[in-house]
Amino acid sequence: MKKKSLSIMTSLSLASLVVLSACGSENNTTTGTNTNNSGGTEENVTIEFMHLWPQGSSADHNRIVNQIIDEFETNHPHVTIELEVLENEQYKNKLQVISSSNQLPDVGMTWPAGFLEPYVNGELFAPLDTILDDGLRDEFVAGTVEAYEINGSAYALPLELNIAPVFYNKAIFEENGVEVPESYEEFIDVIDTLVDNGVTPIALGNRDRWTGSLWYMYLADRIGGSDALNSAIDRSGEFTDERLIDAADKIQEMVAHDAFVAGYNGLSDQEAKSEFMNNNAAMYLIGSWDLPNFTTNEEVPQDFRENVGFFKFPEVEGGDGDINSWVGGAGVGLFVAENSDVKEEAKEFVRYFIQEWGKHSVEDAGVIPGTQVNTDEVDLPDLFIDVLDELNNASNITLFADVQMSAGVAETHLNMIQSLFGNDVNPEEFAEAHEQALSEED
Amino acid sequence: MNKIMSDKKIIALYTLPALILLLILIYVPIVLTGYYGLMDWDGIGPMTFIGLDNYKALISDHLFWNSAYHSLLLAIFSVLSLIIYLAISLVLASQIKGADVFRKIYLIPMLLSSVAIAQLWMRIYHPSNGVMNRFLTSIGIENPPLWLSDTSLVLFAIFVPILWQYAGFYIIIYYAALRNIPNELVEAARIDGATPFQIAYKIKLPLISGVIKVTIVLAVIGSLKYFDLIYVMTDGGPNGASEVMASYMYKLAFRTNDFGYGSAIGFFLLILILLVTYLIRKLTTSREDNVQY
Amino acid sequence: MKEKLSETSDLNVSSAKKLPPSPKVAQSSLKHKLSHSVLYLILIIVGVIQILPLVWLFLFSLKDNQEVFNLPPLALPSSPKWENYLNVWTEGNIGVYFLNSVIVTGAAVILTVLLASFVTFAITRMHWKLNKFVLGLFMVGLMIPVHSTLIPLFSFYLNIGLMDHPLAIILTYTAFNLPLTIMILLGFYYTLPRELEEAAIMDGCTVHRMFFQIILPMTAPVVATTAIINMIYNWNEFVFVNTFISSDKYKTLTVGIQNFIGQYSTDWGAIGATLVISILPILIVFVLLSNRIVEGITSGSVKG
Repeated sequence: MKKKSLSIMTSLSLASLVVLSACGSENNTTTGTNTNNSGGTEENVTIEFMHLWPQGSSADHNRIVNQIIDEFETNHPHVTIELEVLENEQYKNKLQVISSSNQLPDVGMTWPAGFLEPYVNGELFAPLDTILDDGLRDEFVAGTVEAYEINGSAYALPLELNIAPVFYNKAIFEENGVEVPESYEEFIDVIDTLVDNGVTPIALGNRDRWTGSLWYMYLADRIGGSDALNSAIDRSGEFTDERLIDAADKIQEMVAHDAFVAGYNGLSDQEAKSEFMNNNAAMYLIGSWDLPNFTTNEEVPQDFRENVGFFKFPEVEGGDGDINSWVGGAGVGLFVAENSDVKEEAKEFVRYFIQEWGKHSVEDAGVIPGTQVNTDEVDLPDLFIDVLDELNNASNITLFADVQMSAGVAETHLNMIQSLFGNDVNPEEFAEAHEQALSEED
Repeated sequence: MNKIMSDKKIIALYTLPALILLLILIYVPIVLTGYYGLMDWDGIGPMTFIGLDNYKALISDHLFWNSAYHSLLLAIFSVLSLIIYLAISLVLASQIKGADVFRKIYLIPMLLSSVAIAQLWMRIYHPSNGVMNRFLTSIGIENPPLWLSDTSLVLFAIFVPILWQYAGFYIIIYYAALRNIPNELVEAARIDGATPFQIAYKIKLPLISGVIKVTIVLAVIGSLKYFDLIYVMTDGGPNGASEVMASYMYKLAFRTNDFGYGSAIGFFLLILILLVTYLIRKLTTSREDNVQY
Repeated sequence: MKEKLSETSDLNVSSAKKLPPSPKVAQSSLKHKLSHSVLYLILIIVGVIQILPLVWLFLFSLKDNQEVFNLPPLALPSSPKWENYLNVWTEGNIGVYFLNSVIVTGAAVILTVLLASFVTFAITRMHWKLNKFVLGLFMVGLMIPVHSTLIPLFSFYLNIGLMDHPLAIILTYTAFNLPLTIMILLGFYYTLPRELEEAAIMDGCTVHRMFFQIILPMTAPVVATTAIINMIYNWNEFVFVNTFISSDKYKTLTVGIQNFIGQYSTDWGAIGATLVISILPILIVFVLLSNRIVEGITSGSVKG
């Protein structure tokens, strides 16, 4: 840990004594001094930190976070980290409410791209280039930090990185004499065979909508290559592109083949997941965040865990897509509030957190961090290692569509996904609705 | 008598504390909601004044009118279900043995939080393991309905738990009202040979008509701004088939960073409820009514 | 008193009382018994249905995620997961959350019911020009959707320095429940016989004494009713708590539930256990309070 000269900062933070802190009437600057190791005296400061990994549901994440905080406080005796933990949905809700009064915590979590944009436009997040330029940038997997960049500056740093493989139940495949499909046509054959044998082919919880979006994204990628969808979203292309309409068409073809579990449009992702984990469905497309459930989670029956494999989304004949192109990308990242009066300490904390998190998250919590992981050094189940290797060999990772888009367009996209899967719209209408939403944005 | 009962100081003392709370914590947000509704604001960054543009957008927003229609349906169903609640209350408040125990049992579901109720009904409606469909397949129905994913069914499927959730609320009000009726009246009618049904219809209902009107208003207002179970169970889906006004507003304000537009809808909702309430009052106020609400 | 009331009813019962009991009653006793049994059967069936959710919730709290989703709702788990309860307790802070819930709920219920009774009394029993207008003001309070108020209220509490303070929650609950409580009380206050007040005033009672010693006790059934409704609302509320409270030491039980909701997966068994733990106290208070919704005001109290 490098010691930064904090004296300038602390004199600044003195000036902000009058500023109310992010969550309530407590001041960031507490009076009193602390003699630190280097012999100088530093003003005691408090860094407020808000995250979304409660102990109850994310025990491992939570433990690592607390561990990192303890270490940081030990190394910086004048710093106290004040925590607030909220679950996902409540977290998002509260972030918006406190932003309206410009009361963000000093450090918090954000999602990339479309989620981050309004916060950056409102000048609520501080640029973090100074941290990255110290060589930290090279520690990240190429392309992950970019998801949080706007106009060349990074406003948050990733803590998780995921790709979405198609997980499948080896036992069910074997029982029904089907092989891992390598093309879309074979995929349909597998689905037909399973349906004929009375087995549900694919578990899908499309009440949550982004789950269905994964399927559409893969088909778009396999038919049109990695640029087709991206260019439609960034407006250099169009959603009415034939290849994207073809992808929508294929979704409805799969629906027509009864590929998905009954009632998928009303099932939550969790309900679908449990169908897969109870051997009631043969396949399940989900992010690599679920790997612990398929490998190390002791609460899940072992005979199920031993039966889980994954395959890359099959190629479509005549399509431009590459089988090593993935849907996925960065998840939550850390931001520093622009109006934080302990900005330097907060940035220092973020940098420390990112590095420490990278060391522990895979092994201790099953979270793939945004920083590079050396698979030779970690002790993980094979399935996990295989996914990590695929991640390292990826030719491209397309960021989740609903994350790429601005929130308003994402809502249209997700509703359209549900309609497409529910046969309420045809592929052309699906494309048109996207075009309309995107053009209204401009 | 009148002088004592019109003492300004006492009136002020009795009403001001509540009124101050109401004005600060509810009227200020109402006014601000109206103000935000005139803005283009994502709830995060700076605001821009755009006048009535949000309201113009609202007029042509078919998603909004779709959700408004669903809210209206919910209101109609809620008012109709008051009849059932009333019937149950009449039985529970009658002199039959064990009425007291029944009453307590009947009101238990009202103690459950929305989280619990949503989970319970998702288990009931589950396409393959749900209580409902297991029952239907057991009596030989091949393809039972997919309650929460069928766009033509989902709204009615979700009304059932909502109405069930609120049953206790209305029953407890009706029950208290019915117990308030002087026993002598009922006794006299019974001695006169009136059937229980006649007693209920001719004596009890007229006597609690004021309370019934209040519950009609509450049911309508509550339905028009209803949010909870829909948000948890279907999130307004599939594709808006179970979206209601409040859930639509929430999505705009807190999910799609369109806080200005969301506020405009919130304000519009308020005006709409005011109008509807006014209408109900007009419709239900009879000549000899001294009950104003 | 009794005579007066009966004259107001549609049936002219005062004359009916002079007649001998009708002979029809004895003849219809068999039919009466039969219809009674049918009625009881229906009552019991509905009663069982109403109790099942509690049973379900208890079983739910003993399951793991797999069982929650894949067993029929009322099936017994293969091995009851009592550790869900252990989990919930050792998560720490459940005790603190619990205490906060009791304090916040209790304070808000008492404040709401008392203030609402004051207002309803003033509106219905006292004579002043603006009473209808003030009632209208409270009515409008029913109509605002909760989520519209979050941002304005947040900045308000921030500015007066009440952010992250239990008072913010208590005041919010009170303000939001006042309109509803007043509405419910209203229907009852209108039915209170005016003679009571007249008699009280004659006896030289002050308004305060009349309110506290006559009106409040007489409205006990409806006050208990509104207290129950308020209690349930406040006990289960979490949007305001999550928005206005950030310190763990002030959070309530509903936050204990949030604790088990994860980014990608949720621990339903633990949520079930938390729900069971949190429903017990209101179940007890509910039974106690609902005993207060007893005989109506005039029966027994006024002998004609």
